Amino acid sequence: MSDSSVRVLLVDDEASLREPLADYLSRQGFAVRQASDAAKARSALLEEVPDLILLDIMMPGEDGISLCRHLVESRKLPVIFLTAKGEAMDRIVGLEIGADDYVVKPFEPRELVARIRSVLRRAGKNGAAQTDTEAHYEFEGWHLDPLKRRLTDPEGTVVPISSAEFRLLVALLDHPQQVMDRDRLLDMVQGREAHLFDRAVDNQISRLRRKVEVDSRDPKLIQTVWGGGYMLAAEVKRFVPVTD
Amino acid sequence: MIRRFLPRSLLGQMLLSVALALLVAQSISLVLRYQAEERRIENGLVNELAFQLVADPRIEFATRDDQRADRQERRRLRIERALESPQLQGESRNRERERALHQVLESQGVAVSELVVISREVSRDRYIMDGLRRGGRFLRNRWDPGGELVVAGMKRAGEDQWLIARAPRPERPRSTMVGIIMQTLILYLVMVGGLYLLLRRITRPLAALTRRVERFGGVADGAPPMEPSGPEDTRRLITAHNAMEARIAGLLDEKDVMLGAIGHDLKTPLAALRVRIESVDDEAERAKMAATIEDITHSLDDILSLARVGRPSDPLERTELSALIASVVDEYEDMGEDVALGETERVALPVRATWLRRAIRNLVGNALRYGSEARISLTRENDQAVIRIADAGPGIPEDQIAHMTEPFTRGETSRSRETGGAGLGLTLARAIAEQHGGTLVLSNVNGEDGAIVGLLAEIRLPL
Repeated sequence: MSDSSVRVLLVDDEASLREPLADYLSRQGFAVRQASDAAKARSALLEEVPDLILLDIMMPGEDGISLCRHLVESRKLPVIFLTAKGEAMDRIVGLEIGADDYVVKPFEPRELVARIRSVLRRAGKNGAAQTDTEAHYEFEGWHLDPLKRRLTDPEGTVVPISSAEFRLLVALLDHPQQVMDRDRLLDMVQGREAHLFDRAVDNQISRLRRKVEVDSRDPKLIQTVWGGGYMLAAEVKRFVPVTD
Repeated sequence: MIRRFLPRSLLGQMLLSVALALLVAQSISLVLRYQAEERRIENGLVNELAFQLVADPRIEFATRDDQRADRQERRRLRIERALESPQLQGESRNRERERALHQVLESQGVAVSELVVISREVSRDRYIMDGLRRGGRFLRNRWDPGGELVVAGMKRAGEDQWLIARAPRPERPRSTMVGIIMQTLILYLVMVGGLYLLLRRITRPLAALTRRVERFGGVADGAPPMEPSGPEDTRRLITAHNAMEARIAGLLDEKDVMLGAIGHDLKTPLAALRVRIESVDDEAERAKMAATIEDITHSLDDILSLARVGRPSDPLERTELSALIASVVDEYEDMGEDVALGETERVALPVRATWLRRAIRNLVGNALRYGSEARISLTRENDQAVIRIADAGPGIPEDQIAHMTEPFTRGETSRSRETGGAGLGLTLARAIAEQHGGTLVLSNVNGEDGAIVGLLAEIRLPL
């Protein structure tokens, strides 16, 4: 879909940010409507359902988290949080209640646009956003919680991975024991860190290998396939944890 | 020296002082009672000798020195009459007893012309040994050949015969000693035991309070306030402590809310500004503005983090340090910076990854800003994980290096706005290292000619 047909609802109580941001997004070709609080956002939703909502967390009255919960439960709308806090807790809370992404204020406007497109692309592919992002992955004793982006090794030790590595790993985990060529990986992984992938996928693969392989020079888990591609040589189980 | 062996706790010191006081009191009492007992025994002895000497002349004893050997003497062996003084050669007289005996005899109206008191071993007293040889259960019960006896000889005025009385020397009052020692032991058990139980009622709540205060970091960790226990004084202390804990927690909560508000109120206008500069046409100008906003944001984050570092909200999680470091290095590498990941080992530690990543980022950022390159390594040394970040910059003058981790300090040589940063980066890195129970050490790296060739920052974390 082209950006001109994309309808964005921008919810933020700070007019000083909301108005220039709406202008900027309009110039980028989005159809932007504004709401200054949660109540106005709800009534705007009754008039017209947008394709995506940009939502400030800290607002007087009903806050962004509460509104997001309602949006995700009732309408399955993609949500990107705008937050002033950058701590991990906020991200987890935001993503667990069903937001698709978040940006930390002050954000780079171009980055916001990149993320809007990325979320819409994912939402479009999956029909709705958040289809099975909650299900954990398990492979060779390793464990990946996609909400928290938390990878743990067979001993339960957290192994920090970057966003690019996370997306690459999810792409491989979603297609276990299948050869994935570089272009396909690049296409699947290209998200908000698109610029990172100007560098080769191979670079990210070797970074990931350093973290998950016993010996990164003799990779067993992520194998190189002659003819240009990579394959995850492991059985992958997915499950939704009852409690975490 | 002695101080080292003295107990330090209230319980130990109280018990020791009570035990010492009791020991002194019992020792004095023991000495006094021992002396009194000895005097009583001495008086008994003197009186017995006096009684024999005064009473006996009225009872006839047919004992003569020359006849004694061949006569069957069955009567009670009691007193001897002799022409000679009972003092044998080499024996010394006991003047003190003589004086005491003399007094007693005098008070009985006996005119004494000569008086001799000596003590000797029973086995060397011919008179008693002869009597013993002749038998008689009474004698054997009274005289122990291995013991000693006291011999008193008296010559009345106007007589030329000696009257010689004998009495076994009484044993030292050992039985009283045993008694008083037993008594002391029982007192010890009762008093010290009772005191121990009583003191424990005070010291147990105190120890619990100490542990609580040591652990207290102002975090409402869900632990209920301490139950007041022990005597009234201790209870009041615990109640007061609980109130203080609640006040501190309240203040800290307030601080967190305030910091959140400051962060929000400053970052929203910054975000607005960041959006607005997109309409600046001059590309170079816009990049400068964006960089300035980024600097402000970074400083603001450092300030907010520094204010929160003592009270982190996220839990410790066992984390692969090498992967954490690699992800920071990769970030900088992707930005085209000159970072190199050197030797790394797999080290898993319980850390707060968000915080530690921030500390490493600050140190790498510093290295790149002042030293143009950063070499990072992770090694396991003894019982520490050591993260080293080295640059190739001018280092820090030795006299300033210690102050570098204090807030708002920057190297004098680089104090210009262009380098940016509020000077909180190192302070925050140190605070984060300390949050994890570790340290941050800065040191200059010297080349072969002794000149400074770079700065080394080491985060040491306990394994």
